[in-house]
Amino acid sequence: MHTYEVFLKKDGKEGFRHAGALDAPDWEMALLLARECYCRRGEGDEMWLVDRADLVVAPIELLEPNGDRPHRTSDGSVVAERRKQQRQVGGGK
Amino acid sequence: MSTLDLSPGVREYLLALADDEHIIGARHTSWIGSGPFLEEDLAFCSIAQDELGHAIALYELLTDDIDALGLLRDPAEYRCCELVELPCREWDEALVRHVLYDHAEGLRWQALADSSIPEIVGVAKRARREEEFHVAHADGVLRRVLFAGGDAHDRVVAATVRLLPVAATMWTSVDGETEALATGVATSSSADLAERWWTEVKVLYEASGVVLDRPAAASGAGRTQRSGHFADLHAEIRLVIDLDPNARW
Repeated sequence: MHTYEVFLKKDGKEGFRHAGALDAPDWEMALLLARECYCRRGEGDEMWLVDRADLVVAPIELLEPNGDRPHRTSDGSVVAERRKQQRQVGGGK
Repeated sequence: MSTLDLSPGVREYLLALADDEHIIGARHTSWIGSGPFLEEDLAFCSIAQDELGHAIALYELLTDDIDALGLLRDPAEYRCCELVELPCREWDEALVRHVLYDHAEGLRWQALADSSIPEIVGVAKRARREEEFHVAHADGVLRRVLFAGGDAHDRVVAATVRLLPVAATMWTSVDGETEALATGVATSSSADLAERWWTEVKVLYEASGVVLDRPAAASGAGRTQRSGHFADLHAEIRLVIDLDPNARW
């Protein structure tokens, strides 16, 4: 058995979205089973199946953010705090 | 869909297909939660739903009260064949019946696709599209099991040999077929369809190295008599409606 990741796309601008996964002996059966398991109610107008064995999976470490690079993760909290203080003293206008 | 003004013979002809669809759908649903693997479980039960949908579409052409027609008839008034009444509690038998039945069903809908009655053409068109997938699914699973060899192969071949004579009951001509053909409601006789069905089945198995003997035509009372398997199933499908036959959903 192979495990296939199922991606569906609705007509229009939306991109493909991951819908789930399924087990099947090969891609032909995977297509038939995916139709019955994931597309019974018009959930997608297009479908991709990807054999999980063909996925390039990134090592976890590759994605770990560096804790010492705060300038890359500005969430606006510093500016928000300053504006709040300015409002409180009436100087924010 | 409104009830059509059909002659008794044509009604009988359509009822045979409607009852087959209803009962095979009911039998297939017994696999909910116990299919060989999750994906196949879902696919098989979704096919069962399609068959029940076909039954409803045909019942709607015949009556305004499909509960009464579909569920509350006397067993002797049903016109299903013995193949669909079998319990098939082992997966090998359920799979083989799926193969034998859906090949036949596809052909039976084809015989209605050029019907002289437009409402029937509409129902047949929808059903045929679904049948293409049912047959692809049935053939796909069967081929892979036969290809796998070993116990799986032997069990499926044995189930096929057991079920083929029962499958011949699908082709017992129903009262009304002559009329259905004469009025153009259907365009192929059961005998013609049986020939084409056997060719499809034979070729399918031969491609996997299995040579089958053609089953003899079914003898016996045909569709006017229920097999010993029907009573329990009928009681089961009436379970809810018998609680309150007048309830409206």
